[in-house]
Amino acid sequence: MNRFLAFVIFVIFVSSRYAGGGVAYAADDARTIVTEAQHRTDAKSQRYEGVLQVFDAKGKITDKRWTFERLGSHGQSRAVLRFVAPPEVKGVALLVVNHPDRASDQWMWTPAIERDRRIALQDRSTRFFGTDFSFEDLEERDVNQYDYVLLGEESIDDGPSWKIQSTPKRTRSSQYTRSIVWIRKDSYAFARIENYVKDKLVRRLNYSDIQNIQGIWTARQLEMFDLTRGSRTRLTLEKLQYNLQLNAEDFTLQAIRRQ
Amino acid sequence: MKALLLLLVLVPAAAGAQTFSQRGFVEGAGVLFPQEAPNDSTRAVGDLRVRDEVFYKPAPWIQFAAGLDLRANSHDRVEKSWRVDYSDRGVRDPRLSVRRLSATLTRGGFTLDVGKQFIRWGKTDIVTPTDRFAPRDFLNVIDTEFLAVSAVRGVVQVGDETFEAIWAPRFTPSRIPLLHQRWTAVPPAAAAIPIADIGASLPAGYEAGVRWSHVGRRIEYSLSYFDGFNHLPAIRSEVSLAPPRIAITRLYPSIHAYGADLAAPTPWFTVKAEATYVTSSSELSGNDVASGNDAADDYVLYVLQLERQSGEWVFVGGYAGEAVTRSRTSLVFAPDRGLSRAVVARASYTLDANRGVAFEGAARQNGRGMYAKAEYSQARGQHWRATLAAVAIGGHADDFLGQYRRNSHATLTLRYSF
Repeated sequence: MNRFLAFVIFVIFVSSRYAGGGVAYAADDARTIVTEAQHRTDAKSQRYEGVLQVFDAKGKITDKRWTFERLGSHGQSRAVLRFVAPPEVKGVALLVVNHPDRASDQWMWTPAIERDRRIALQDRSTRFFGTDFSFEDLEERDVNQYDYVLLGEESIDDGPSWKIQSTPKRTRSSQYTRSIVWIRKDSYAFARIENYVKDKLVRRLNYSDIQNIQGIWTARQLEMFDLTRGSRTRLTLEKLQYNLQLNAEDFTLQAIRRQ
Repeated sequence: MKALLLLLVLVPAAAGAQTFSQRGFVEGAGVLFPQEAPNDSTRAVGDLRVRDEVFYKPAPWIQFAAGLDLRANSHDRVEKSWRVDYSDRGVRDPRLSVRRLSATLTRGGFTLDVGKQFIRWGKTDIVTPTDRFAPRDFLNVIDTEFLAVSAVRGVVQVGDETFEAIWAPRFTPSRIPLLHQRWTAVPPAAAAIPIADIGASLPAGYEAGVRWSHVGRRIEYSLSYFDGFNHLPAIRSEVSLAPPRIAITRLYPSIHAYGADLAAPTPWFTVKAEATYVTSSSELSGNDVASGNDAADDYVLYVLQLERQSGEWVFVGGYAGEAVTRSRTSLVFAPDRGLSRAVVARASYTLDANRGVAFEGAARQNGRGMYAKAEYSQARGQHWRATLAAVAIGGHADDFLGQYRRNSHATLTLRYSF
C-alpha cells in the first residue's frame, strides 16, 4: 500500500458517529483499522517514477511521467514531485509540506517563467496538470485528521475488505464532504477510495497490482476516475523504493527551483 | 564559451541519468499585422528559435546549468553575426546566445548561484514592480521574454525565513524595440524625419540587492532593496536641422528601489500585492551625460491582484497604479509604468489534457489605451504544440498602449519540444 503516495489519499477516517445505512460498527474499530493501515506504511522515505496515462472521455490517451520523492511519514512528511515528460513540462515541480493537524502547504515551480506559486487551499480542488488527480489528492494525510465509521465488509477485486467512511474534521480543509475507503483485510492495503461532494460521487481511486515492497504492501497501479468529466488517469509506480537516503535540503522552495 | 559548448555536447553522454537533465525546443512562429505602421510597412514576420538547456548535478551539493539559444527572423530582428553572445547587450537578438550558464552550490539551508541566471522577485503576475533583476526582450512589446543576468546570488533559508543577497557586477539592459520597426511608435509629424540610434550609455557599476521573505501559514511576504540601474532606458534625443535628424541615445538611470510584496490566501481567492518605490539619482549614468541632468522620475508603482482557480478556470485580475513623487522631464521606454493606472486581467481555461484557451487584457483607467489577447493552444503527441493567438490594441497616440494601435496582430506558433 502506498502511503502518501501520492495521490493516494491516504486518508482515512474515523467517526464517533454513524452516518450511513446498514449495520454500524464501533468508531474505534474503524480508527484502529485505519491506524494500523497507516502504521504498516511507515517509512522514512520513498521514491518512485510515475508513469501516467490520462484517458479523456473519448478514450484518447495522453502520457506523462514524473518523479516523486518523500521524506518523513504521514503528517510529518515533505514531498517533491517533478515532471520529466512530456518535454514541454519538464522541470515543473510541486513541493508538498504535510502537517499533522491541517491541510498541507503546496508550492508549484514553473521553469518557463522561473517563478514559484503557492497553491491556495481553495484552489486545490482543481486538476493537477491535466491529470484526474486534484492538488488535494497529492497530499499525504494523517489518520487523525478525519473521523471514521466502519460501514461493513465488501470484496474488492476478490479481496475481502473493510468499508469505512471518513469525514474530514473541522480543522481539515477538504473539497470532499466525505469519502468511502476500502482496506484489504489481508494486508491492510487500500483497495479503493470514493470521494463525495455532498452526496455526489465525484472521484474514485482504485488500487491494484498490490505488491510487498521492502515489507510494505504497495499498490503499483492507481487509477483515478473523474466521474464528472468521464475521464480517468492511470498511475503506475516504477522503480519504487522505501527508506532510502534523502536529504532534507532537497525538500525546500530553494530546492525545487533547481532543475 | 568553448567550455559551455563542450558541456552541452559531452555531458549527456557522460552523465548518469539521475544527475543529468535536458530540455529544449524548436519553435517557428508567423505573425501577421493587418495594418502597416508609419515606420514599418512589413505585415508578415517569420521567426525561428531553437533552445537547448542542460542541467548536470555531479554531486548532491553542486549543479551546473547551461543553455543556448539560436534565432532567425525574417524582419531583421536578429544579428547577422554568428558569434556566441553572452552579454545580451545588443540592439538585436543575437543569432547564437548563451541563455544561462551557472553553477549552484548548496550546503544545508545555504544556496549560492554563480553565473548567468534568472532572478525573479515579486509575487504578482502581469505587472511585477519589485522584479528589478529581470530585464526583458521587448522587441515585441506584447510578447516579451526574460533575459538572464550575470550575478552572484546567495540565499539562506532558516525555517520560514529566507534571506537573499545578490551582486551583479555587470549590468544587463532590457532590449527595446528597434527604431525602424513598428514597436517603436513614431508620431506622424516625425515620420518623415530620420531617426538614428547612436547607441547606449551603459553603466559600468555593479548592481546589488537584498531581500527578506517570510512564509507564514496564512500569508507570505517579502521586503527588498535594490541598488543599481533601471534596465528600462531613459531616452535622450537631439534634433539637428541640417540635415534634419533625430539622434537617440539610451541611458540607464541609477536607481534605488524599496519593494514589498505579499500573497495571502483567503477562503475565496488569493490576494497578491506588490509595490516599489523607485528613486533616482539626479544624474543619469554614463560618461557622456552632463552632470546634473535630471532624467528619471521618482515614483511608486503598485499592483493589487486577486487570483482564483475554479474548476478548469484560472482567473487573475487586478489594478496596477502609479504615483509620481518627483517628476522630471524625460522620455522613457517603460512598459511597467505603461501598464499602470490600468485594470489588468487574465483568464485561462483547460479544455482537456492537451488543449487550453487563455484571455488576457489591460485597459487604462482614462480609456486612452487597451489591449486584449485571446489564445488557443493544442498539443499533439509528446512533442508538438500549436498556438494561435490574436491581439487587439487600441487607443490614442499619447498613451503607452494606444501608441501601438496599428500593431494588432495574429500569431501562429508551432513548437517541437524535446
